[in-house]
Amino acid sequence: MATGLYSQHLHNRKVLYIRNTVITIVLVALAAATLFPIVYMMMSGFGPNVATAGNMRTIFPSRFTLESFEAFFNFSEYSLRWIWNTFVVSAGTVIGNVIFASMAGYAFAKIKFKGSNALFALILVAMMIPYQVTQVPLYILMVQKFSMTNTYAAMILPSLCTAYNIFLCKQFFSGLPTPLIESAKIEGCNQLQVFTLIILPLAKTVLAVMAINTFMSSWNNFFWPFLVTNDPAMYTIQVGLKQFKFANETLFAPMMAGATISALPMFIMFFSLQKYFMEGVTIGAVKG
Amino acid sequence: MNGTKQPRLATQRKFRFTNDDLWGYIFIAAAMIIFCVFTLYPVFNAIYTSFFNYKPFGSEFIGLKNYVDTLKYSKFNLFYKAAWNTLVYTAVVVPSTLLISFSVAVMILPFSKKTQSVFKAMYYLPGVASGVALSVVWLWLYDSSPDGLFNQLLSVFGIPAQNWLSSTKTSMLSLMIMALLSSHGTQIITYIAALLGIDNSYFEAAELDGATFMQKVRFIVWPLVKPTTLFLLVTGVIGSFQVFMNAYMMTGGGPDNSTTMIGLLIYNNAFEYGKYGLACAQAILLAIVIAIMSMFQFKMMGVDVEY
Amino acid sequence: MKKITALLLVLVMVLGLVACGEKTPETTKPQTGNNGETTPVVEPSNEPDTIVIMAPPVTGEYLNNLKVWAADFNKLYPHLTVEIIETSWGDHSDKLSTMAQAGEAPDIAEISSGALGTYVEMGVAIDIAKYMSADRLADYDANAVEYMSLEGTTYGLPLYLTIQSIGANKTLMEELGIDVAKIQNEGWTYEEFLDVIAKGTDGNRFGFVFANAGVTASDMLNIFGAGVGLSNNFTADLKYTFTSENMLTLLTAIEEMTKSGYMPNYGVEAGQRMVMCQTGNAMIFGKAMPLFESNFNKNNAALEANDGTAVENSLPMEYAFLPVPTMMGCAESCYGTVDGLIAMRNKNTTDEHLANVLLFMDYICSGDRIASCMNELYLDPVCQSGRDALVLQEGRDEQNLATAGRCIAMVEAPPAGVTAEMTATAKKMMDEHIVPKFQLLLAGEATAQEVYEYICEAAYDAFGAENCVSGKIG
Repeated sequence: MATGLYSQHLHNRKVLYIRNTVITIVLVALAAATLFPIVYMMMSGFGPNVATAGNMRTIFPSRFTLESFEAFFNFSEYSLRWIWNTFVVSAGTVIGNVIFASMAGYAFAKIKFKGSNALFALILVAMMIPYQVTQVPLYILMVQKFSMTNTYAAMILPSLCTAYNIFLCKQFFSGLPTPLIESAKIEGCNQLQVFTLIILPLAKTVLAVMAINTFMSSWNNFFWPFLVTNDPAMYTIQVGLKQFKFANETLFAPMMAGATISALPMFIMFFSLQKYFMEGVTIGAVKG
Repeated sequence: MNGTKQPRLATQRKFRFTNDDLWGYIFIAAAMIIFCVFTLYPVFNAIYTSFFNYKPFGSEFIGLKNYVDTLKYSKFNLFYKAAWNTLVYTAVVVPSTLLISFSVAVMILPFSKKTQSVFKAMYYLPGVASGVALSVVWLWLYDSSPDGLFNQLLSVFGIPAQNWLSSTKTSMLSLMIMALLSSHGTQIITYIAALLGIDNSYFEAAELDGATFMQKVRFIVWPLVKPTTLFLLVTGVIGSFQVFMNAYMMTGGGPDNSTTMIGLLIYNNAFEYGKYGLACAQAILLAIVIAIMSMFQFKMMGVDVEY
Repeated sequence: MKKITALLLVLVMVLGLVACGEKTPETTKPQTGNNGETTPVVEPSNEPDTIVIMAPPVTGEYLNNLKVWAADFNKLYPHLTVEIIETSWGDHSDKLSTMAQAGEAPDIAEISSGALGTYVEMGVAIDIAKYMSADRLADYDANAVEYMSLEGTTYGLPLYLTIQSIGANKTLMEELGIDVAKIQNEGWTYEEFLDVIAKGTDGNRFGFVFANAGVTASDMLNIFGAGVGLSNNFTADLKYTFTSENMLTLLTAIEEMTKSGYMPNYGVEAGQRMVMCQTGNAMIFGKAMPLFESNFNKNNAALEANDGTAVENSLPMEYAFLPVPTMMGCAESCYGTVDGLIAMRNKNTTDEHLANVLLFMDYICSGDRIASCMNELYLDPVCQSGRDALVLQEGRDEQNLATAGRCIAMVEAPPAGVTAEMTATAKKMMDEHIVPKFQLLLAGEATAQEVYEYICEAAYDAFGAENCVSGKIG
């Protein structure tokens, strides 16, 4: 744990108190600015079922009601199914990344194999091409070659192991002490044993970070699921939410209610994973 | 890079797979297959397409014309203006976001676990709001009428109402503020994870030497989270150079194209004007620029990355 | 060497994939040019077939109705089934262009006429005249069909012609002694318009507001442009119009409006304009459609019921749909766009299939089907069978109805002979040069003269000076 960064020998309680107050004020102020949009979103969801965002210049709606939530669920017979679909897709993506990206990240960081640097550079370079131009060939691949329209596979596979996460893992694992691995190998462990017995227990934090961030981006992903689903039963929640927009009006409050509901699973994800965060890792001396 | 600098290899014959080679390939096998099929194939396809006047039924090979058209200088070629805008945006947003994220992550540390988790949740929360909802709210915050929320805030300080997204003076600034306030959740969480990995013995030793707080941050924390910073910097620059959604949702280019980004140009060419080959060429040029920038970042920050 | 070996391995894998991907699907050759009269119409066969249609919710009920119509159609032609791809508004065109570029376009897709050129250039739009009978095609108004055509070839059928103009708080205008009916019946000049909005400006209230923030700025140019002879990008002899003196007049008028204090001198978001009118913060607003009458009626009902669903702080008022004022003595006109359905090429495309596709497209663009849509949109059908089937909803305002009818009749279709390339260049010109500079004018950061000069220069660069109008149109 890095708690030692802050002086442990502050005997003057007043100084300690002032220090923590100042930090709290800064953190709360910044958080408030960051949180504003989502608070507004939730409040609108609890407001009356009105179309198009009005001239609401207050945070709180004129009255609190659940009618917008009702409208969200009545909008389509699949409303709940959308959330389930998104969950399946996000969970699949997270599992794939946790397994494959951590293995690849470890290999790139700690195993000296031929071509590792070149392959890693290739992975990075591929990240640099914007998705706007790669999604047409990807679409041809998934729809024409694999005939995967309206399947979970079509939504999961392209992000099953992202360059971003391989990079994240590589950076984390490269901070682990090499002697630890070397000594394990001397004691007769092969690389798979080193990885599962020594590295993974130390990697809880980074895996939790990766899981949370991947889940979040997968949950909020709109365009790709929109492209590969034609059947309302297979929509993800983001695709579903866009259905609340029409040519001349937006069902604003039900859309916000839906967005609020769709945020819940991400909270659950966050709070169930955050204990791994709290533990942190103590790994002795870090490689110099 | 030079593979023979590792002494281990000097004694080995080239082309002989070692035990480590084998394990390395096993470990990356799944990742590489997924990567090749779903990332590299589309990338190569885009490179291939960039030499064509692309049409779904019968493309026509035109050599480098897409590249020439993109780079041909003219007062009316938006590519250079968009490139400049993207550069300015990146130069401001990426370092600022890193600094804010790092500071917040450091500031969260002295609190009890319970308080820490509250703060983490608060900073994580904005990420859960769907992009659709967020852009609606931001447009409303930037309402240019005197009753607009930001304008009301300014009037408290006696500053006159601004024409936020509709004026060349403030349009880019508005997009930057939005990026700074809405995209650091992921980075803060990543930094916290890195900070928690630092062993307390470092600080104890420093404490005995009488190091101040700033000295500890400067000489212990900063060097130790360098791999994380490098990661966030490189991915941040990549993301920022490709930025598209904000410009598309908020301004669509803005007055005098003051917020037209390369990402927006590529999008428009591919989807609005049906010039997919040209869009591919622009994307490749963008990727080359990003690659060069990334190489510099690895050189600057490359503590343990052999490049 | 090692890394080269590794890289080569990867490259071989990927290139193998790329090579597979490049096989062009075996399909009929793209039809080009106009071969409508000599080629016999392809008759539909009785083989089972599936027709894929992709559409966004063009009206609130459209996608639900589409399912009913598809079922009805299947009863009429049991061998034909219809598959519907529902998309969302605003993302429809992104999905469509991705699918089209992948060679996987749906058989029928909804597009706005402005996007037609893109699909024609891409080679995925189909000449429909060959696949439907001439008398069925004649059911549609020539004016509206012209929007779905390029260089004499028709690529789709019109759903509706929407007119865009300005709207007003009729109650307030009449209180101020303005003859609303006269404006609606006879039109008005820009000078009269300025007088009216001056009268309407009072304290917290603007006489006029136009949602012109971001890309909606182009609406203001198009709508007011119709009153000054700039209804279309090209004249009948195919010269680009935005370089004419009319454009300078238009820009000068808008500059005058923004500086007058009768309208906000800052950017107004699309969602705000009607709210400003309904809360009494603006008298006239744009852009407006005849359909808004239903929004005002709904709000009045909500205010009466006091059930909390009315727009906050809004007042009861009647809505008037107004024609756009004229400038420079130009004839009165109205800006209109057509949304329609086009037939598209994909790997299943055969002549028999296209005949089936057109059968369904014609079915949903005509008769009761289109009449029910038009009732929802407060618009007139653009085909005879639709007009015959139309049973007008109760309670429509007579004056607004008459004005809308008058405006629809004034809409000028794009001139014949405009090529796909010309529309594409004009679109790019509008998005990349005219709108951004026009936004400068709206923000008070450039003068009308400066903006006009820039537009001329950019247009000469894009079209060549000889293909641009100099002097006055009309």
